[in-house]
Amino acid sequence: MIDRIAPAGSPTASPLGVDQTDLVRVPAAATSAPVEGADFGSMLSELASSALGAVKQAETISVAGIRGQASVQQVVEAVMAAEQTLQTAIAVRDKVVAAYTEISRMSI
Amino acid sequence: MHDPLQASLRIGASGLEAQSKRLRVVSENLANSQSTGRTPGADPYTRKTISFESEVDEAMGASLVKVAGIDQQRTRYRVEHHPGHPAADANGFVKMPNVEVMVEVADMREANRSFEANLQVIRQAREMISMTIDLLRST
Repeated sequence: MIDRIAPAGSPTASPLGVDQTDLVRVPAAATSAPVEGADFGSMLSELASSALGAVKQAETISVAGIRGQASVQQVVEAVMAAEQTLQTAIAVRDKVVAAYTEISRMSI
Repeated sequence: MHDPLQASLRIGASGLEAQSKRLRVVSENLANSQSTGRTPGADPYTRKTISFESEVDEAMGASLVKVAGIDQQRTRYRVEHHPGHPAADANGFVKMPNVEVMVEVADMREANRSFEANLQVIRQAREMISMTIDLLRST
């Protein structure tokens, strides 16, 4: 309770200061880790971001289609592309999760 | 990226677009098949024609289709005898558009068939892509 009241009373109290340094330090450790194993992690993040980009574009074009600024073919094409990218991403994710479960089930 | 299946999707989409433009021109011709001029002896609506050409997509190295141009068909107008019509000349003859409704209907059918064929290409390419992705799923 005292920890919660103290930051409200004085902005430069020590609990807040500790939190901030922790927050600063954790991302630094997180960013340094993928540099060592850049192959697999970056591949996954690239896959996820491309899926996200495709879905976002499909949404943009769908809205434009509802407004009458895009043709039906364009809307369908964008939505199909997003669906396909998402399907690929899901299939790869399932495969990766299956691989991890396989490893965790390994008897040591 | 040179995925041939993705290229097929893109080519099919360009075909769909070209055929829908063709249908637009046909519908303009059909709707205006009775449109005359307003002043005596004025020219009526002139039939529009559409032509296509292939266009190479540099990124995929595939030949897409695009509309080369929409032109006007310079043939003789039909002449009908309608005295008192705003567009009638001194002898009571009115120039009618050079649109043949049967030709337009045939053209419409052709656009429909071509659109269907392009849709079929897209459907097939999608199915092949899905089948390949499904390889990851079956364990």
